[in-house]
Amino acid sequence: MGAVFAANYFDLSVNLQLIVGGLALGAIYSVVALGFVLVYKSTDVLNLAHGEFLMLGSYFAVTFLVTESLNFFLGTAIILVIMLFLGLLIHYGIMRGMVGQPFFSIVLATIGIATIIRAMLLIFYGPTERGRLTALPGSGGSWEVSGATIRHVDVIILVIVAVCVGALFAFFKYTRVGLHIRAVADNLEASAAMGIDPDRVYAMTWAAALALAGLGGVLFAHVTAAIDQNLAAIGLRAFPAAVLGGLTSLGGAIIGGLVVGVIEQLAGGHIGTKWREPVAFSVLFIVLLVKPTGLFGRKDLERV
Amino acid sequence: MTTTEPRPDPATADLAAARDQHYGPPGTGGPDFQPNVVQRFAPFALAVVTPFALEMIPGDNPGNWKAFIGLAALVVIGLMAWKWTPRGRLTHRQEMRKWRTPDQRMLAALTIFFVLAAPFILASDFSPPMNFPWATWFAVLNLVLIFAMGAAAFNLLVGYTGQISLAHVAFLVLGTIIGAQVGIIFDLTIWVALPTSAAAGALVGVIVGLPALRLRGLYLLLATLGVHFVMLLIYREYLQSRFGFVGISFPKPNIPSALHWIPGVNPDDNGEFIITGQFRWYWVIMPISVGTLLLMSNLVRTREGRAFAAVRERDISASLLGINVARSKLLAFAVSSAVVTMSGALGSYYLGARGEDSFDIQLVLDYAIIIVVGGFSSIQGAVFGSFFFWVLPEWFKWAREELWVVKEIGFLSDYPSEIDLAIKGFLVVLVLVFKPEGLTGVWRSTKSGITKLYRRTARSGS
Repeated sequence: MGAVFAANYFDLSVNLQLIVGGLALGAIYSVVALGFVLVYKSTDVLNLAHGEFLMLGSYFAVTFLVTESLNFFLGTAIILVIMLFLGLLIHYGIMRGMVGQPFFSIVLATIGIATIIRAMLLIFYGPTERGRLTALPGSGGSWEVSGATIRHVDVIILVIVAVCVGALFAFFKYTRVGLHIRAVADNLEASAAMGIDPDRVYAMTWAAALALAGLGGVLFAHVTAAIDQNLAAIGLRAFPAAVLGGLTSLGGAIIGGLVVGVIEQLAGGHIGTKWREPVAFSVLFIVLLVKPTGLFGRKDLERV
Repeated sequence: MTTTEPRPDPATADLAAARDQHYGPPGTGGPDFQPNVVQRFAPFALAVVTPFALEMIPGDNPGNWKAFIGLAALVVIGLMAWKWTPRGRLTHRQEMRKWRTPDQRMLAALTIFFVLAAPFILASDFSPPMNFPWATWFAVLNLVLIFAMGAAAFNLLVGYTGQISLAHVAFLVLGTIIGAQVGIIFDLTIWVALPTSAAAGALVGVIVGLPALRLRGLYLLLATLGVHFVMLLIYREYLQSRFGFVGISFPKPNIPSALHWIPGVNPDDNGEFIITGQFRWYWVIMPISVGTLLLMSNLVRTREGRAFAAVRERDISASLLGINVARSKLLAFAVSSAVVTMSGALGSYYLGARGEDSFDIQLVLDYAIIIVVGGFSSIQGAVFGSFFFWVLPEWFKWAREELWVVKEIGFLSDYPSEIDLAIKGFLVVLVLVFKPEGLTGVWRSTKSGITKLYRRTARSGS
C-alpha cells in the first residue's frame, strides 16, 4: 500500500493502481465489517474489539504461516478454527452474562476484551514488529496494465474474499443455522417463540464473526507494512465501512468496505498517507449527517 | 426524609424511646437539633486548619507526636461533624445541601483533612511496614487528580447525559495544543493557558456536540471517533510545524503567590517559586481538580443536571417535559469538553513533555476503564476509578517485589506492564459482568451495611 504521489489527479494509470489497491484493502475491510455487522445485528453488541480480533488473526498468521511455515490454506483453516472457538468462548464466557445491561456497558466490556487481547499478544509475541507476509501462493509478482502496476496479491485477495463472502451468503441462505441466525437478527421474540434457541444462535454469530475477523487478519498480514499493535487501529477503520453500509445490512457492509478502501487509497495517494483516516471518517461523518441510517440501513434503529 | 415521618410526641415515654431508636442513641443532639453557625462550620474549619497547624509546629523530630495529634484531631473532627448535623424538620435549603446527613458531613470533613494532610504525610520520610512505596504514591496522587477531572467530565457526558462520545482524547490533545500555543509560543503563564484551553474546549465541544442533535448511540460514537482521528492529524501537523519532531517540552510554571505561605514551599536560591517536585505540583493541581469536581457534582444537582438525566433516559419524553434537548446536549458537551481540555493542558504541563505518540486510542480505553471500575454515572466514581487505576500498577509492582509468594513467580516480573494491562482488561470485564455499579456500588453497599449495623447496635443497646 505504498502511497503513490501523483502530480496529476486524473492520471488514469495512477488512479487505476490506487483503485485496485483500494478494492483489495476494501475487501478486507468488508470481511471485517461483515463480522462486525453480524454481531451487531443479531446480538445488539457493538464490538469495539473487532480490530483486536483482526490483529489476533494477523499474529496467528505469523505463527502458523511463517514460524511453522504451513501451507497457506491449512494454516488459514487452523486459524479460522481457533477463532471460531474463541468466538464461542467469548459468548459463553462473557457476553451471556451481560444480557440486559445498558448499551454502553456492553461496549465497554468489548473494550476490556480488546485490552486483554493486546496484553496477551504483547506477552506472547513481544513488541517487535513483523514484516509483511508472503505466504499467499502466487502473490509475489505484478502485472503491467497500461502503465499501472497491478499487484497479484491484491487480485488474489479480492478473489478469496469474493469466494468466502459468497460461501457465507450461501450459508445464510441455504442452511438451517443460517436461517436461524437471520431469524434471530430479524426478530428475536418471534424466533424465540418459534423454538429457536437465541443463546446458541448468538454463539454461532460470535464464532462466525471472529472467523471473519481472523480471515481478514490473515489477508491483511499480506498487504500491511508491518504487523504490530497498531493493526488494531487499522481494524477500527472497518467501522466506517460498517456504518456507511448501514450496520444492519450485510450487503451494505461489503459495499461500504469497498467504498472506504477506495476512498482511503485515493486520499492516501493524492493528498498524503496521513490523511487516510481523517478522510475516511469525514466521509462517514458527512454520510451520517445526510442520511443517519447509512446507505442501506433500516430506519427503525434506536438502541440507546 | 425525616419530614415525612410522623413526629413522636415528646411527652410520651414510649414514643420517646421509639424516637431515640429512630434518631440514634440519646445524646446525639436530639430529634430537632439545629447547630448554630459556629457548630456548623467548626469541623470543616478545623479540618482545614489542623494539617497546616501541625506542619508548622517547629522542632527537630516531632514526627511521632504530630501523628498522634493528627489522629486525635481526626477523631474530634469526625465526632463534631457527626454530632452537629441538623436533625428533625429540615428547611428546603437544608434538604438540598450536599453534605446533609451525619455520615456525609463526617466523611466530607475527614476527606478535607486527608486531602490537605496527604502531601505533608507523603513528603515526610515516613516509612511504613513491608516497604510499601509511599514515595511513588505522590506522583500517583497528582496523576489521580488530573485523571479524575477528565474521567468525571467523561462521566458527565456519557454517564449522566447518555451522549456516547469517544472524542475524549481529542480534547486532551486540544488542551495540549492550546497550552503549548499560549504557554510556549505566546509565552504567557499557565494561569492564562488553562482558562484559554477551557474556553477553547467549550467552543470545540459545542461543535463536536452538533452531530449529537441528529445522531444517537452507536452513530454518535463513531462520529466522535472520527473527531479523534482528525484531532490527531491536527496535532501531528502542529507538532511538526512548530516544534519539529522532538515533541513539546513545557516550561515549569511558578507556584502562585497566594500559596507561598504553605509550609514546605520555600523560594529557591534566586528567590523564585518554580514548581519542581510533586509537593508543589500537588498544591497547584489539587485546588483546580477539587474545584472542577465540586463544580461538576453541583452541576448535576441543578436544573440543568436534572435535564441531563432526563435527556439520558429518553430525549423525546424530555422534550415533552419542556426541556430544551438541544441545549442540554450541547451544554453537556461544552462543560465536559472544557474540563477535559483543561485537564489535558494541566496534564501536559505536569508531565512536561508531549510527543507524537502521547495520545493513542488506548488512552480513551484507559478513561473507559476508569469510569467502569469507578462506577458509571457518578462523579465520585470517577475519583474512585482513577485512584484505583493509578494505584493498581503500583500495588502490583509492590506485590511482585515484596510479597512472599508472588515474587517467586518469574513470569510476573518478566512482563510487568503487559500483565498490568491484561489485569486491567480482565478487571473491566469482571466488574461489568459481576458488579456493574463498580467501586461506587461497593462503597454504597459498605456504607449502608455500616449504617444498618450501627442502627442495630443502637437499638439493642438502648
